[in-house]
Parts: sequence; C-alpha cells; structure tokens
Amino acid sequence: MSATTANGKATTSKTTFSRETAVSIAIQADASIIWSLLTNASDFSRWNSTVISISGNIALGETINLVSTLDPKRTFKLKVKEFEADKKLVWGDPMGNRVYTLSKNDQGHTVFSMVEKIGGLMFPLFARFIPPFDASFEQFAADLKKEAESIMQAN
Amino acid sequence: MSTTHLNTEFEQIQGQLKSFILRITASVADAEDIVQDTYLKAAEKIESFRGDSSLKTWIFSIASNLAKDKLRAKKRWTEDVTDICKSAALSNPQFFQEAMQIRHSSTQGAFEIKEHIAFCFTCIAKSLPLEQQICLLLKEVYDFKVAEILQIVDTSEAMVKYYLHTARAKMISIFEGRCALINKEGTCHQCSELNAVFNPQQKFQEEAVKIDMVKAAEKGDKEHLFDLRMQILQGIDPFTSGAAELQLHHLEHNRKVMESFLKKNEV
Repeated sequence: MSATTANGKATTSKTTFSRETAVSIAIQADASIIWSLLTNASDFSRWNSTVISISGNIALGETINLVSTLDPKRTFKLKVKEFEADKKLVWGDPMGNRVYTLSKNDQGHTVFSMVEKIGGLMFPLFARFIPPFDASFEQFAADLKKEAESIMQAN
Repeated sequence: MSTTHLNTEFEQIQGQLKSFILRITASVADAEDIVQDTYLKAAEKIESFRGDSSLKTWIFSIASNLAKDKLRAKKRWTEDVTDICKSAALSNPQFFQEAMQIRHSSTQGAFEIKEHIAFCFTCIAKSLPLEQQICLLLKEVYDFKVAEILQIVDTSEAMVKYYLHTARAKMISIFEGRCALINKEGTCHQCSELNAVFNPQQKFQEEAVKIDMVKAAEKGDKEHLFDLRMQILQGIDPFTSGAAELQLHHLEHNRKVMESFLKKNEV
C-alpha cells in the first residue's frame, strides 16, 4: 500500500500487472462520524458526489451493489471483506480491493485514507479501458471531509 | 432524590413523554404501557439517581430504552408508508365509516391540516433508523440539547450529531419529494384529499395558506421549511388536541397496515 500525505491529493502508481490509486486527508471529526458515513449505504449518495447509489448492507461478509459516476452504466458487485469499526473497511471483487482506513494524526484529527489496487495476470488486457481514479478519489475525500466536519461543528 | 420529587416531575412531563413515545411507536397501547412502565422503573430506581442529568432527562432515557426494547425486533417502516396505507384504506370501507363517525360525534374528531402534517411526520419518521428517529424527535420536537440527548440514548456526542444531521437531511429530502404542500411537484396530496372528505365545505387552498410552512414554501428554503414543520409538531399534543381521536384512529390503521405489509414482504 502506498504511503501518501494527508493533503487530499490522489497518487497513482502502475506496474505491468496492477494499478494502485491512493488518497489521504485529515478530517476534524471523530472517527465514529466518518465510520458511520462510510458504512451507511442508503445515505452514501446524499453526501458523496462520486457515488450514484449503493444498495445492500455494508457489514462483514455482505455483498453490496455500487454504481459510481466513473462508470454509471455498470453496477459493481462488491463483497465486504474486512470491517473493523472506526478503523478499517475493505470491499472488493476478484479484480481488486478498496481499502479505507482511519487513524489519528499528531493534531488529534482523523486521517482518512483510501487505496484501491486493481490487477492480476489479465490486467494488461483491460487496463486501457479503466478510467483514471485520481479525480474521483480526491472528490470522494473532499466530500467526506466536508460532510464529517459539518456534522462535527453542528450544535 | 425522593419519590415525591419524582411524582412532581412525572406529573409535569408525562404528557410530553406520552406523545414522544407515541411518535416513536405509532401505537396508543404501547405509549400507555411504556409511560406506565417508565414510572414504575423510575420509582424503583429513584434512590440510585445521582443527578448526573436532570430528572426529566433521566426519565426520558428510561422511556426511550423501554421503547427501543419494544421496537428492536420490528422492521422499520418504508418512506412510502402513506401511499401503502392510502391504498389499504381505499380498499377498506370500514376505515372511512369509522373515521366519519368520529368526525361527526367526537369532540376530538376535527380534521385539521396541521394535525395531519404532524401525523404524516410521525409515520414517515418511522422509516428512519430507530436511533435517528429518537434523536431527531428529542432535538427538534422536544427541545433537548445534544448533551442531554447523548445521556438519553447513551452514546457519544459525535454519534448524536451524526444521527441528527443524517435524520434531518433524510426527512428534508423525503418531504421535498413527496409533500405537495411545500413542492408543487410533490407526489403526496393526502392533506387536500382528506380535507375534501372531512371538510367538504372548506376551500383547501385558503386553509393551507394560513399555515406558516405553506406560506414559506415559495421561497424554497428547505431547512427553514423543515423547522416550520417541526414547529407544527411542537404545538400539537397528539392525545389532547381537537383532532386527536381522528388522527389516532388513522395512526392505528396505518400501524396495522404497515405491520402486515412488512410481514408479507419479509425477506
């Protein structure tokens, strides 16, 4: 997994058989708020402009159906593979995994990181059909920060 | 703290408490039982009450826990509850016969648009996750502060803020899409339809524009419209208002319809 600074800028690294995009951002909100936003499927599209819809239950072992603005005609069927409250969430399919992690930085803020690695032996064949993720990742992180901080600041 | 203190406080807040529980459960019988059980539990534990919160907050937390116990195993209602229940009512002539009898014979049988707005909110709020519904009612209708709500629902301040924010956003979005009183494109016209049934001599538009929320609809400030909707709920006690019997009859109908609907559609 790539190490990134928590500035909301996405980075992508490529090899012949894989591609990995990562973004990290510091958020002035409790991890529990961010975790709740990330695990409430039906509410996702309200605050996240990169997601058209998520149906299903975001819980360990469950399968969710995700439609993203990156490819609105396609529904991704994803399995929730790891689910550690307020810390780590992983979902994915045979092509790759999306890993969300929450940690604390020195200022006491929550650092949200999101990494997606896709790849495999067939990757070179379909790589050119997969759009770049960077802009979408940055938007995801910015939307999450905005929503979580506005909740935290509410009275 | 003594039982005398408890009795005095309970006497003062029991109307509010009962309406709060009714709005959570949508059941008159459950509201009555839970209020009674809340008193018994509070009386049993009053000597261990340390004053970490106000007595009112403590009583609401007991009631809230009892309501949660009652509802935990039950499925949440769906956003289109009023459509489902309307269709059930239309195929059940007995519902309208009973309602009409209440309308003409009861001193609490008036049909008022404001009362129906409050009733409708109670039904649709049952589509929210239970914790969100409870927090939203406590804050927006019963005027509790976040610091008090976290004591009542026994969670962190961050989570209360999350529940409040998400619940409010969700309800605003539902009413924006459905409520024809605030949005000309809204799909639900039950206020005007029922007003035509129960108050056939009345001109609906003339009555509706007397309501602040309807007056403010043209400006389209969704947050403000929601605040005005909450003011309507704050001003109505569903057990004592002039429309109470008619609306409670309607609520009982909707609860039975939804329980049966959810059972039939169980996954």
